[in-house]
Amino acid sequence: MSYLEYNVKSVPTGLRKLLYLNWPLLVLTITVACVGFLMLYSVAGGSFTPWAKPQMERFALGLAVMLVVALVPIWFWRNIAALAYLLSLALLVSVEFFGTVGMGAQRWLDLGFVRLQPSELVKITMVMLLAAYYDWLPAKRTSRPFWVMLPLLFILLPTWLVLQQPDLGTSILFILGGGALMFLAGVHWAYFAVVIAAGIGLVTTVFQSRGTDWQLLKNYQFRRIDTFLDPSTDPLGAGYHITQSKIALGSGGWAGRGFMQGTQSRLNFLPEKHTDFIFTTLAEEFGFVGGLSLLALYTLILVFCISTALAARDRFSSLVSLGIAVTVFLFFGVNMSMVMGLAPVVGVPLPMISYGGSAMLVLMAALGLVQSAHIHRPRNRRR
Amino acid sequence: MIRTPLRPLARIISARDKGENPKAIERENIRRRHKNMQDRARARAEGRLLVLGVFFFAAFVTVGARMGMLATSEPSEPAVSFVDTAIAMQRADIVDRQGRILATNFETHSLYAQPPQMIDPIAAAEGLVEIFPDLDKGRLIRDFTGKRKFLWIKRKISPEQKQAVHDLGDPGLLFGPREMRLYPNGSLAAHVLGGASFGKEGVSAAEVIGVAGVERQFDDYLRDPANGNKPLQLSLDLTVQAAAERVLYGGMKLMNAKGATSILMDVHTGEVISVVSLPDFDPNDRPRPPTSGFDPSVSPLFNRAVQGVYELGSTFKIFAIAQALDLGLITPHTVIDTRGPLRWGRFRITDYRNYGNEMTVTNVIVKSSNIGTARIAQQIGAEQQRAFLDSLGMLDATPFEIVEAQGGKPLLPANWSELSTMTISYGHGLSTSPMHLAAGYAAIANGGHYVSPTVLKRSGPQHGPRVLSAQAAAQARNMLRLVVSEGTASFGEVPGYAVGGKTGTADKPKPRGGYYDEKVIATFASIFPAHDPKYVLVVTLDEPSENTGDKPRRTAGWTAVPVAAEMIRRVAPLLGLRPSFEPAKGAAITLASQ
Repeated sequence: MSYLEYNVKSVPTGLRKLLYLNWPLLVLTITVACVGFLMLYSVAGGSFTPWAKPQMERFALGLAVMLVVALVPIWFWRNIAALAYLLSLALLVSVEFFGTVGMGAQRWLDLGFVRLQPSELVKITMVMLLAAYYDWLPAKRTSRPFWVMLPLLFILLPTWLVLQQPDLGTSILFILGGGALMFLAGVHWAYFAVVIAAGIGLVTTVFQSRGTDWQLLKNYQFRRIDTFLDPSTDPLGAGYHITQSKIALGSGGWAGRGFMQGTQSRLNFLPEKHTDFIFTTLAEEFGFVGGLSLLALYTLILVFCISTALAARDRFSSLVSLGIAVTVFLFFGVNMSMVMGLAPVVGVPLPMISYGGSAMLVLMAALGLVQSAHIHRPRNRRR
Repeated sequence: MIRTPLRPLARIISARDKGENPKAIERENIRRRHKNMQDRARARAEGRLLVLGVFFFAAFVTVGARMGMLATSEPSEPAVSFVDTAIAMQRADIVDRQGRILATNFETHSLYAQPPQMIDPIAAAEGLVEIFPDLDKGRLIRDFTGKRKFLWIKRKISPEQKQAVHDLGDPGLLFGPREMRLYPNGSLAAHVLGGASFGKEGVSAAEVIGVAGVERQFDDYLRDPANGNKPLQLSLDLTVQAAAERVLYGGMKLMNAKGATSILMDVHTGEVISVVSLPDFDPNDRPRPPTSGFDPSVSPLFNRAVQGVYELGSTFKIFAIAQALDLGLITPHTVIDTRGPLRWGRFRITDYRNYGNEMTVTNVIVKSSNIGTARIAQQIGAEQQRAFLDSLGMLDATPFEIVEAQGGKPLLPANWSELSTMTISYGHGLSTSPMHLAAGYAAIANGGHYVSPTVLKRSGPQHGPRVLSAQAAAQARNMLRLVVSEGTASFGEVPGYAVGGKTGTADKPKPRGGYYDEKVIATFASIFPAHDPKYVLVVTLDEPSENTGDKPRRTAGWTAVPVAAEMIRRVAPLLGLRPSFEPAKGAAITLASQ
């Protein structure tokens, strides 16, 4: 049941909407993005090219996208959720056929002006669809088996598609994000217990399959897991990422070596230093204090997303905000864990900071949804 | 769940009585129920959110704690652990019988490049060419600027070279630790040690594999980490080996020989104390094996002691005599008909000189009569001769533990006829390696037991099966002593060491049949001290020619024997043998020390 239509009159209209933006969230977003520019500038050796300048342009575009998304009423987004999901899924399928192969995986769709990564888009449309689904579904049916299977299908379909690319990181993110949303929507805990048990079983099976002819993961994926378990076995090969980034973090110490002083990252020791492993640059140059500050910034973003969710009067707004909070959390949580050797290297960017177009645009659009939910929540009419 | 009725009858009736609208009660109840449902949903949602919040918090704490842990950790390059690498490090050392190092390991570095990480490939290539002039600059530049992601530049570089490359400062030039095999004594015992080279090569290590000699033969043992780096102990004695090499080298030059080999073996244990083959090589920089179509025996890699199979000539006579003595066919004083030439079909057997019509067995050996030996061999017969030579190990490759020894298979006559029996008795028609000969002489010297030659240190006598009676062996030994004191090997006399032995000068066979007139293999097989032999020494010179006289002298008595005598003079004290002088016959002098 939705309350949306009841309180339309009390929602701000026109440009007055700007006044009702979630300003702290916007400021935080811009702050984090600026940290990103700084890091890209530093990684390039004190130069806006080749990374910082395009990233700033993209961020400006992203900011515009965010504002547009924010000003469009949240119920519009709810209504087109299913359509958006189907469209992004279609893009994902088309990657299979027309995609550009990059870094050993087929993930990109070249649209001419921008190289789009549909899997990024699906992260958001999936959250939208699930939120819309639970908004539509009467609460008492939430835990009925059929109504649990349906969203499960919504999650597993894109997961299977990105596994074909192959992109293990994104597929794990899909499952975790979708699962968290279902959990927040109030699906009975027993389902989760079953899924977690099955997941443990699956992991065991996957490891059992190793070396047999029905091997379920690629060798490089197995090696990444091995390296995660003990990176010291192959410090110059598969473990290179992790060991080098650990060295960078260690050399940063408490206060860091200072802006533009990081040797590990600037002297080309680190691969992917401007994308997935950019956190190491930050940790080396600004140390523990800098890293923890970034963590705090992300935490504040989460807090404001959740506060929007709590203030929302309808399930869609609240679930979308929470879902996006979870997505952001998964992004930076997995990325930081991976950089610090707590999780396997699965190729998840650091949100708003890592160099990359699709992720940035999609994330800005997602935060736009949160803003939209914030603006269009029912309020007491101002006298 | 007990449902509250929306229209409780009691309240509706009482409301009707009061004239109120009962629908209001229903609406009120519906509103209340909705509110309840909402509250429950909200409570659950808040509970779920709380769970998520707790999870978030835990994740933050974990990530934050990890960050703190890493920030406080000392940044250190990871120590490359070789535990799990497929390439095992640390090959075991090889030491001589007294534990002195013959082969060990040495840590160097390899140099490789990762062109994608290079800052200035052209400058790097130029710098490298300056450090390593043998590199091709054009090719380096092509490799560095092309699509290659990895390439080896040098397998082994010295610390100075490493520093020089370091100073180039290009991050695309990288070093890997590289263990290499070092033979600190250079070419000493080169043929026994053989050599090692790199097998599987990785960036962080390379596999060292033995390619020849004991390095190859015992490769598995040397590489096996389970042996706990226990060195492989050889029977060789470094000091004796060095002395033997010097003497043999000098002798080879003096006698204008193109090659030479010597084997010094303990007659009781079969341990080879020194084995030399000249020309030799430096195993640290092992030459390439000769390409096919080229006589391998010319290569310094060729081990004459075990790979070279030659007709060793008159040195073989003692085997026929010893066997005949053992079989009781003759005694040392039996008179043998030595009228020559001895005709056998179209074949004539002659002596070097005519020694008269008859001789005692002892003189047949001392004067080295082919005819006399052949007559004795006729009495032995093909069957028994073959069995006896087999028991001395003359028909198979020696069990000497270096891979090359398997290549030294004796050449046997296709048909062991009576004629073959006669020619083999004086050392023609059967080709063996000098190692075979040494083992055969050891059996005579040690009192009649076969010993198998070994390169490994043994403790105590390793007598094999008895092949001769002790009496026959003793009689043969006496004859060998007389060869030196009265016969063809008079240059072999070394005062104090009572050398016994037998010379052999064999014409070298032409590749296409027949024999050269002026190319011989001169061999002296000796035992010392003759009264209680401890060592056997075989010296073989390839194409010697002693030119101090009017015309070149090639017989072993003039070539191999003096070299062997000099070697005994040099090594006997090193072996711990004290000179002892036999009282001269009839002289009234006795040594005070005895």
